[in-house]
Amino acid sequence: MSRYAELAAASNFSFLRAASHPEELVATAAALGLDALGVADRNSLAGVVRAWGAGRKAGGSLKVLAGARLVFADGTPDLICYPSDRAAWSRLTRLLTLGKRRAPKGGCDLSLGDFLDHAEGQLAIVLPPAPGEAGRGDFPGHLEALARARRGWIWLGGVRRYGPRDLQDLARLEALGAAAGAPLVAVGEVLYHDARRRALQDVLTCIREGCTIHEAGLRLEANAERRLKPPAEMARLFARFPAAVERSLEIAGRVGFDLSELRYEYPDEPVPAGKTPIQHLRDLTWEGAGWRFEGGLGERERRTLEHELDLIEKLGFPNYFLTVHDIVRWARAQGILCQGRGSAANSVVCFCLGITAVDPTKKDQDLLFSRFISEARGEPPDIDVDFEHERREEVMQYLFRRYGRDRAAIAATVIHFRPRMAIRQVGKALGLTEDVTAALAGTVWGPWSGMSPDPYIRQAGLDPDAPEIRRATALAGELLGFPRHLSQHVGGYVLTRGRLDELVPIGNAAMPDRTFIEWDKDDIDALGLMKVDILALGMLTALRKSFEMIPPRADGTRLTDIAQVPQEVPQVYDMLCRADSVGVFQVESRAQMSMLPRLKPRRFYDLVIEVAIVRPGPIQGDMVHPYLRRRDGTDPVDFPAPSPEHGPPDELHRVLGKTLGVPLFQEQAMRLAIEAARFSENDADGLRRAMATFRNLGSISEHRRRFLEGMTGRGYDPDFAERCFRQIEGFGSYGFPESHAISFALLVYASAWVKWRWPDAFCAALINSQPMGFYLPAQLVRDAREHGVEVRPADVLASDWDCTLEPVSGQRLRALRLGLRQVRGLAQEDVERLVLARARGARALPDFARVVSGRGMELLAEADAFAGLGISRRQALWAVKGLAGADRADRDAPLAAGADLPEPRVDLPLMSAARETAEDYRTLRLSLKAHPCAFLREDLAARGARPAADLKRMRDGRRTAVAGLVLVRQRPGTAKGVVFMTLEDETGTANIVVWKDVFEAHRPAVMRSGLALVEGRVQVAGDILHLVAERITDLSVLAAGLRTDESGEAPKAGGGRLLASRDFH
Amino acid sequence: MLTAVSPQAAAAGLFLGQGLTDARALRPDLVLAEAEPEADARALEALADWCVRFSPAVAPDPPDGLFLDIGGVSHLWGGEAEMAADLAARLARDGLTARIAVADTAGAAWALARSPAAEGRPRILAPGKTEAQPLAPELASLSTAALRLEPVAVERLARLGLRRIGQLAGLPRGPLAKRFGVKVLLRLDQALGRAPEALAFRRPPTPWFSRLDLAEPVSAPEDLARLCRDATLRLCARLEASGRGARRFRLDFHRVDGAPVGLELGLSRPARDPDRIARLFLPRLESLDPGFGIEAVSLQAAETEVLAPGQSDLASLLEPVEGPEALAPLIDRLTARLGPRRVWRSRPLASHVPERSVRRAAALEAQAGPAGSWPAWRPRPLRLLPRPEVLEAVIALTPDEPPRQFRWRGRVHRIRLAEGPERIGAEWWRTGIEAVRTDQVRDYYRVEDQDGARLWVFRSGLHDHDRPVRWWLHGLFG
Repeated sequence: MSRYAELAAASNFSFLRAASHPEELVATAAALGLDALGVADRNSLAGVVRAWGAGRKAGGSLKVLAGARLVFADGTPDLICYPSDRAAWSRLTRLLTLGKRRAPKGGCDLSLGDFLDHAEGQLAIVLPPAPGEAGRGDFPGHLEALARARRGWIWLGGVRRYGPRDLQDLARLEALGAAAGAPLVAVGEVLYHDARRRALQDVLTCIREGCTIHEAGLRLEANAERRLKPPAEMARLFARFPAAVERSLEIAGRVGFDLSELRYEYPDEPVPAGKTPIQHLRDLTWEGAGWRFEGGLGERERRTLEHELDLIEKLGFPNYFLTVHDIVRWARAQGILCQGRGSAANSVVCFCLGITAVDPTKKDQDLLFSRFISEARGEPPDIDVDFEHERREEVMQYLFRRYGRDRAAIAATVIHFRPRMAIRQVGKALGLTEDVTAALAGTVWGPWSGMSPDPYIRQAGLDPDAPEIRRATALAGELLGFPRHLSQHVGGYVLTRGRLDELVPIGNAAMPDRTFIEWDKDDIDALGLMKVDILALGMLTALRKSFEMIPPRADGTRLTDIAQVPQEVPQVYDMLCRADSVGVFQVESRAQMSMLPRLKPRRFYDLVIEVAIVRPGPIQGDMVHPYLRRRDGTDPVDFPAPSPEHGPPDELHRVLGKTLGVPLFQEQAMRLAIEAARFSENDADGLRRAMATFRNLGSISEHRRRFLEGMTGRGYDPDFAERCFRQIEGFGSYGFPESHAISFALLVYASAWVKWRWPDAFCAALINSQPMGFYLPAQLVRDAREHGVEVRPADVLASDWDCTLEPVSGQRLRALRLGLRQVRGLAQEDVERLVLARARGARALPDFARVVSGRGMELLAEADAFAGLGISRRQALWAVKGLAGADRADRDAPLAAGADLPEPRVDLPLMSAARETAEDYRTLRLSLKAHPCAFLREDLAARGARPAADLKRMRDGRRTAVAGLVLVRQRPGTAKGVVFMTLEDETGTANIVVWKDVFEAHRPAVMRSGLALVEGRVQVAGDILHLVAERITDLSVLAAGLRTDESGEAPKAGGGRLLASRDFH
Repeated sequence: MLTAVSPQAAAAGLFLGQGLTDARALRPDLVLAEAEPEADARALEALADWCVRFSPAVAPDPPDGLFLDIGGVSHLWGGEAEMAADLAARLARDGLTARIAVADTAGAAWALARSPAAEGRPRILAPGKTEAQPLAPELASLSTAALRLEPVAVERLARLGLRRIGQLAGLPRGPLAKRFGVKVLLRLDQALGRAPEALAFRRPPTPWFSRLDLAEPVSAPEDLARLCRDATLRLCARLEASGRGARRFRLDFHRVDGAPVGLELGLSRPARDPDRIARLFLPRLESLDPGFGIEAVSLQAAETEVLAPGQSDLASLLEPVEGPEALAPLIDRLTARLGPRRVWRSRPLASHVPERSVRRAAALEAQAGPAGSWPAWRPRPLRLLPRPEVLEAVIALTPDEPPRQFRWRGRVHRIRLAEGPERIGAEWWRTGIEAVRTDQVRDYYRVEDQDGARLWVFRSGLHDHDRPVRWWLHGLFG
């Protein structure tokens, strides 16, 4: 029985070189019966955690070794390096950190000296250059030098590539190694787990080399031999060098290090001297409890708190909580709004520490600490905190200051090949023309999601069955999900007590002064490292800004925190029930807006459900309608139950009680797996994880079988079981647990309250926090005006950079003065100088021209911001250009010398009202003067379009048409190819539903038009009104016509859109 | 980006400058052709040369315009309108759509030709109207774009509501120049005849051509040879004078009956040595049919290049010439004898598949390119058979040991020494992706038989118990 350990396998974390996932390599190695598999990527440890995790999952006798292939910049041959113990691991990570910090992002700059400095305990295999590969200097010399310096720790790798002279080459190497003291060891230099990946590997080579497959020539591998091979095959291939095969086992045996040894220690900074961390945490928690529970703690709360603290102490997490508390405390002190999200909201400790805003002990919420931390799961806690999006950077800088760069770093995000990128790059590598690849990529709208792309390819004018196209789509499909490169995570931090670079390599990010580690969240999870997510939320910025603009209360105090917002105001719920929710957090999307009048939220917990119900999980599980019918009283509330012999009929009452017997939250679905399908806690967790990663398709079908059999076998309705599983699938990558929904619902309520009570401040704050949310300033302004807010134009005499509020005598609400930030392209510095000059008395155009750049003045003129001075757009622009000519000497104009002479008055053509509006849209993205559709009304009416406001008076099923600017286009992945469009005309907005077949028939008009005419049928369901499209016509040319003074001019490229819509896929 | 649209495409809403993606989204059935600006430029130049029949002074105005100075020639047609009509008719006959305008200045004509009114029939602006004050309405109503301004300038003017030439002409000049630069004024003045404009007229290039007319027709081969030499001498003298040589020569004998008979000569390197060139023509003169006699002979040279002055003195005969220079005459003679397709050089091509790793190159092609050498680490036979030949009765151990013995062309070869296998996978991208299999490989072996013959054989496909593998001979070493 032959034995062999493959010590030189590269995973696809050797980007654009190797063509198998680490998991695939491990699974194949186990199946082939290898003793060990060493995963060694190019100057990287990014793939080893995945490989290690896969090894643990596979069980069996396969030993997975973590190492790296060191590629040097100084001509030293490549080394496959395995640390033999924990200390050597740290040396390897420090070596890689050193090389990466020296090089720009993605690179690594190492020399032989660097290796020798960190070589202690490293087992290293020298790889000779492949035959034909440009030799990098004197290989025998390098080998000898290495072997001399590291006697007993260096081997020489021999590969059977099926080249012309393999055996001579090996014999020569063996002799060379013997002379130098580096014995020959058999390796595979594996690039993929299976020979069938050869084509993909060739394509990767082409992408890397920037050539097509036809030009690639000898840069490709000659054959498919760089795959994992069974021990017997290796023994045969190395029959003349049996010792070389045995040595692979010897080396693997000498690796005494396993990633599980990376025992992790939390930083202990925030603990004052003389206290233990847990003491300090207890003190802070009880102190916070006094603040959170003003009426004092009840017995239940006290018990819960004690229980949590005991568990935190037992599992050794106190430092983690202290660290997060420290960050949150610092942010609060800076006046930065923040709020924890996710499962941390299950914890009273987090509530008391001010990390989260949800009181888990509140009656109907029934949040369980075990969903956050469980002894059984043995995972570290995971706290995500949202901060104001404009000020998150300050928090991140604080972290770096507090912990130092050697102990704090951002986690990596693995950037995967997405469909568009995959098809584009594969197409290019296969030699398809730019046109064809662009057309292919254009067929992808969002993820392919398992749908056959063929119809789209046909629609793009290509034949999906043509061999070239088939080849490209097949290989692109294979490439999907491959890592492309590492990037920094948006806000996931890893903090350590000791040096972080002794745990994991750290490299430079693209942003200056940013570094990130090589592991992503999954890796960090798998190893049990601590991470804190510092996330950004636009609504927090907007809320803080609106709090600042809300006048002080009668007692002179101001609103400073979300918790101070008056609770349960009925009028706020009235407003939400009317779906009057433009700008409100989370519930402003089309889908949420149509849900609000059906769900009719009357209390806080209704908002929690509202937030959670319009999600892929409940929608895919078809749980939405059953819930609504029960809520309306149409259907009776009953609970699914097992057959009597399998258990009590009320086994799900506790799980589904508060949602009327319908599972809506992720944890309910997981509880179902446990209670009804009899999954163990562990299995349920495995199920959740399998859903979150799309890689593991095989295991999902296995879970599915067990889940369905588990439930139906116990007498549950098969249809219900099927829906429950679909719901779990829907939670997939974006689970929505109850605690998270509650955290978000708090923001829904707070923002709804501001909108109801102070629509002026609300609108100003939202515009000042752009970009964020669902709507553009034009719609926010329109909405504010509909709520009685006067909106005044951007004006050099009155506007700041941000929108401001101006008192209106006798009115509670103030007028909104648009900020100059609305002027497209205008630099903030220009506005700051302008405001300063105005404060010093500048009132006339030349005064402003002295401080504002020429370009800035032109933009202001075009935006009609000098209207307050009584100067029209064109006159202002003429004047500004004249001044610019004087100041900044148009060099080819000899006449500029006479600039000081008084100029003759010039009469410029007047602008039509329609043109004024179009110019407003072009320069300000909105117009206070009129809506563009008003000028086109006659034309639109001739085409059969009715004003959007008329729709409200129409009966269900009536055929009609509307036309308007396209505000939003949305194609949710859950909606089976349905596209939602929102049109706006001068009378209001119209919600359009485009079913898949209509979309396919009118694809260009749906996807491209800026101004669209939609003909269809009115659909009324309760208070919700849609127009179901039958025909869509692109009228962008009409809109472009507004921009010309006279008719008959040809539209210019891109001239079709007055307004860029927000498109969500 | 769309650089040209057909009338049908324009009717469908497509326009110049539109992004390709946008256009395709509008009309997925769009038929696209790659723009060829160089070819367009050449076509425009050819058209300019053709226009010489209307006026000697023609200036191409890329990308799509021509200026004809018709001062003093229009009367030949009976007037400007008649001339324009004739031009339009002739162009239409050749399938060209044209917009034609006549005016006092190039600028005004340019502008008028691009006005919508020029569609279909030529526009003539009567003499003197261009410079008239106030501005003639024909010009005043034209768009500012018709002034040949940069698109940015047109856009900027439009911001102020200035879209017509008339509006622009009415503005005070000083402030206008200050705001938009003197270029705008210059273009305006050029159009209105207030500033001169120089056009770059095109003169057709002199072709390399020599011609001998004979008083009496000749037909004797010696006479033809003499004519050939004389024509060559003349043309080569001119080539020499201008420091050029040519790669192609065409010798035409014009027969009394009007039918030309010609000979083409291609050289591997540019040359202008009259003796050599004539000598290459001579052996082929015999095959010519002079008919009733030759009354003229012409020689044309093409593909001329700059050629360093050669030594034509006696000393050059004594110095040995090396390198491609030395081979060139031999190769030219071989090519003239054997035919151009029979003399070539093998060049390596970067491919793993042996039959694709060689290409035929011109005999004297410069030794350039990345694939300039044969990789030494991959032994390849000196002679690769154009088609592998099947081997019979092969004895070889599985799975991939070299053959011990086989029969080729009826002879048994017993193998004494062998090396291999070198495994070469099929080029998967040449077959459908579904048809790609991992066992599509060839295992090559270098073997030596009992007589010392070295052969290159391969087994196609991996060894498989279910079906016999086939063996082939692909090349011979030494």
